[in-house]
Amino acid sequence: MMLAAFAHPVFDSQRNFRELLQAMARPIAPRAMPVLAPAPAPILPASMAALLTLCDADTTLWLQQPNDAVAMHLRFHAGVRLVQDPADADFALITEPASMPPLTMFAHGDLRYPDRSATLIMQVDGFRGNAGKRFAGPGIRDVEQLLIEGLPGEFWQQRAAMSAQLPLGVDLIFISGQRMVALPRTTRVLED
Amino acid sequence: MTSNYNFAFLDENTKRMLRRALLKAVAIPGYQVPFGSREMPLPYGWGTGGIQLTAALLGPDDVLKVIDQGADDTTNAVNIRRFFARVAGVTTTERTTEASVIQTRHRIPETPLREDQILVFQVPEPEPLRTLEPREAETRTLHALADYGLMHVKLYEDIAQYGHIATSYDYPVLVDGRFLTSPSPIPKFDNPKLDHSPALMLFGAGREKRLYAIPPYTKVESLAFDDHPFEIQRWEHQCELCGSDESYLDEVVVDDRGSRMFVCSDTDYCRQRRAEQAA
Repeated sequence: MMLAAFAHPVFDSQRNFRELLQAMARPIAPRAMPVLAPAPAPILPASMAALLTLCDADTTLWLQQPNDAVAMHLRFHAGVRLVQDPADADFALITEPASMPPLTMFAHGDLRYPDRSATLIMQVDGFRGNAGKRFAGPGIRDVEQLLIEGLPGEFWQQRAAMSAQLPLGVDLIFISGQRMVALPRTTRVLED
Repeated sequence: MTSNYNFAFLDENTKRMLRRALLKAVAIPGYQVPFGSREMPLPYGWGTGGIQLTAALLGPDDVLKVIDQGADDTTNAVNIRRFFARVAGVTTTERTTEASVIQTRHRIPETPLREDQILVFQVPEPEPLRTLEPREAETRTLHALADYGLMHVKLYEDIAQYGHIATSYDYPVLVDGRFLTSPSPIPKFDNPKLDHSPALMLFGAGREKRLYAIPPYTKVESLAFDDHPFEIQRWEHQCELCGSDESYLDEVVVDDRGSRMFVCSDTDYCRQRRAEQAA
């Protein structure tokens, strides 16, 4: 049987968007997704909430671990177009970061239109404050520190290589349980 | 609230398109994101860009303030406030401190904004280079290459002709050291408020179909030269109603013999100060 989507599509997606917007405007600071959406495995309810808030027939989505239940659910509730090639995706859902393709596989935009780039929603193991890397940049008043658990080993090297291409790049939204953390392309990772 | 429209007037597909564009705008500070601007029930030039952004943001719990040149009681501000009260049923206010979303035309409130507030600007011309280079393809290239020499030449010509930088509003800024950005036609008096603002600032241009953002705590520099540093306007007058000597003043002609008075452009700020003095 197919799962339901938001109980109140207009108001639920509005509340989720406002938190997503603040998350993107204040990178690295964890926030809670206000309204969750039922989701078939391996998608978390908070990831599904983000997808239903942002995706529709005008967008493309790449799934790292596609299955029939997920595809049917997303096509029915969002009408989103699923693509095979990560480079074609406006949004990508990473459900197993350890085996994800490198960041260079996703659309980085072009110099005249850097907005034509992918947004990655990545399900990670957890967030720990006062540990891990330190971050600065737009949206961060002083310095933020956060350990994002469950990222692939080469992730930060790949991201550092991407930062050299600014304003090109991909923007990331990490999800763990109900919590989310945004890492837009402009956030700088400070050297330890 | 009227039930003949979707909540906040726009349909959900349009809101999602705006929301996706807004997230990219925040992720690339100062960069102009194209969006599919819709026909709104008021003409271009009356804040259709700002209204579409506000419609994509608003929820039933929001408290909306709308100002036009700092004032809550001008035609444009009153109409937009009434529009959203009707199509979204939101509470409206004239108090800066009570608002969660503030839509503005050409001013930033004098009262410092907070982290939980969002400021939405109505923008007539989002491209700061447009008066210098009319071709969109060319200005896109200049932004791609971060080639902003044209704007420096324009400011230099001001100095050569007038002895100082004569640009007094829509004074160009560099956001996060990368994108040259129009702050919309706010007086340059307000430019310092853009730098490291606690509040998120969003800009919408309906006719030009562009939106952009300045995230909170972002470096925003007003262009200048080492020997001609950026300066804001100063007045020899104080507000004649509240006595403020640090707010942006409007010069008002009060009779047909040329008498003038100077009053705060920010009506809420002026009213709060007078209320404090009376108490």
